[in-house]
Amino acid sequence: MPPAIETVDLVKEYGDLRALQELSLTVEEGEFFGLLGPNGAGKTTFINTLVGLVRKTGGEARVFGHDVESEYQEARDAIGLAPQEFNVDRFFPIKEVLQHKAGYHGVPEAEAEKRADEVLKRVGIYDKRNERFDWLSGGMKRRLLLARALVTDPDLLILDEPTAGVDVQLRHDLWELVTELNDEGTTILLTTHYIEEAERLCDRVAIMNEGRKVTVATPDELKERGTDTISVRLESSVSTSVAADLETDLDAYAHEVSTAGDTLEVRVDDGGSTAPRLLNDLEARGYEIADLEISRTSLEEIFVDMTRSEDRTVTRSSASSADEGTDTDTDTGADDGAVETEQEGVA
Amino acid sequence: MLSVGFRALFRREVLRFVRRPKNTFMPPAITNVLYFAVFGVILGGRIDEPVEGIGYILFLIPGLVVLGTISNAFENASFSIFHGRWNEYIHETLTSPLSYAEMVVAYVGASAVRGLIVGVIVAIVGRLFVPISVENGLFLVATMVVIAALFAGFGIIGGLVARDFDDLTVMNQFILRPLVFFGAVFYSLTMLDTIWQYVSLLNPMVYMVDSVRYGLLGYSDMHHVAPAGYAEFAPYASLAILSLLTAVVIAIDVYLFKIGYGLTD
Repeated sequence: MPPAIETVDLVKEYGDLRALQELSLTVEEGEFFGLLGPNGAGKTTFINTLVGLVRKTGGEARVFGHDVESEYQEARDAIGLAPQEFNVDRFFPIKEVLQHKAGYHGVPEAEAEKRADEVLKRVGIYDKRNERFDWLSGGMKRRLLLARALVTDPDLLILDEPTAGVDVQLRHDLWELVTELNDEGTTILLTTHYIEEAERLCDRVAIMNEGRKVTVATPDELKERGTDTISVRLESSVSTSVAADLETDLDAYAHEVSTAGDTLEVRVDDGGSTAPRLLNDLEARGYEIADLEISRTSLEEIFVDMTRSEDRTVTRSSASSADEGTDTDTDTGADDGAVETEQEGVA
Repeated sequence: MLSVGFRALFRREVLRFVRRPKNTFMPPAITNVLYFAVFGVILGGRIDEPVEGIGYILFLIPGLVVLGTISNAFENASFSIFHGRWNEYIHETLTSPLSYAEMVVAYVGASAVRGLIVGVIVAIVGRLFVPISVENGLFLVATMVVIAALFAGFGIIGGLVARDFDDLTVMNQFILRPLVFFGAVFYSLTMLDTIWQYVSLLNPMVYMVDSVRYGLLGYSDMHHVAPAGYAEFAPYASLAILSLLTAVVIAIDVYLFKIGYGLTD
């Protein structure tokens, strides 16, 4: 079975601006895949390339093995898209909007009406079925976008920031619904700014920045790439000069040592396995330890580290010079080499 | 071609204008009552028959039918495409598995239907003022379908190239209407000096109005003013050329959809 999404060296240029840079990504059938990245990272451009709203400049893109340009009908038939924008037909009541959309996908009229009712019930706005889109509240509009994506019974559901600006209850409702869909076998591609959302829902996530893929990993793998902080409270306070001395002494495993009153904070790769050694080293140096706490780097901090870079516009010329000098996928601005970059086309 | 998807889009497009008669059918009905009342009854009563045996009101009807048909076909297609682009709901169509040809034919077909309905409304309004008998029914229907589709096809291009609503107004008011008004709607080409007759032959609207007039009244200016050799077959030659032009315009529409002109980034 071909992957749900497969892109190879996908490029999109807007004049001199490169929105996607040799992006190679694979999403397997049945996966719940997250696409993370700051604004302007190219997430929506990537999605729109798959559904035909953006024409690629180069590379390949396939949906369930169908090329998005030469076999666009098959590719589009497999996709249900809930976009960021409220791009809904304002002329008709929402139920008819859904019937039309199902019809465009070849669903006969009677079946389309039945499906429209079903998805409106599923997203919880059935009682608004005769209203026009403009009369719905913000949360209901978001639900309708999801209903419209579902009415065609897609094999691949693409959700472009579906929970942006929605209240907590709706966010949880949406999470529950998309999890159900994924459990039923629908492949899901989710873009989001909310790290918690990706961590909670996704089997794997890709982090994008400036049109490039920075990395692809499971949320747990990503978190393992971050550093931990061991906070050691001592019986007596320590001076700041001690921190510098300790950083030298503990150089073998400590990335950074800082002090705050009677607490030492030591940043290490793996807090759990390093803590006993740290305690021994401190006791050997005469420190009396009162308490110890280990905190892991959050996925959000890792994400920020990975996407931290200079504010620069990527152009064809700058991309070319980057290509000449370095591997494109490694030019990520990632911190301290902590990010394991993807060298292969397949994630 | 008549897939479920095509029928769904065609139906949606037709429902959009059918459910808004106040915006789509009432204005041309009222406008044409005024045309017939003022130009036909009040002024027309003082004007000699432009063509022997055909009174002025009767002479007006084919031109006004054409004017109503093509302007509504154009307006419907251009509005539908542009409004869909403006509010981005055309994405519902663009992200569907419909082929580009199906999309275009559905938009063109529905807009042509609106144009034809308005054409019939104008004819009915005209019938209130003067009896009409159709002389060449099949030819009339064929010509009406072709010109409605042609201007729906032009409307698609208009909707794709427009950058704002003003552009649509400009196309309708400053291009379409002048060509129609100088297209022998209100006068016969035989009333013009020879030089203006030849200048008029450069206006494509002249052929459309003349063909519809031939279909409805059995009279064609072309039989009198067109160059010898063409004059004899004029209405049929016009229909053939217009059919070819319509096919070319629709092919251009499909091409523009395929490359995503005005539709995709």
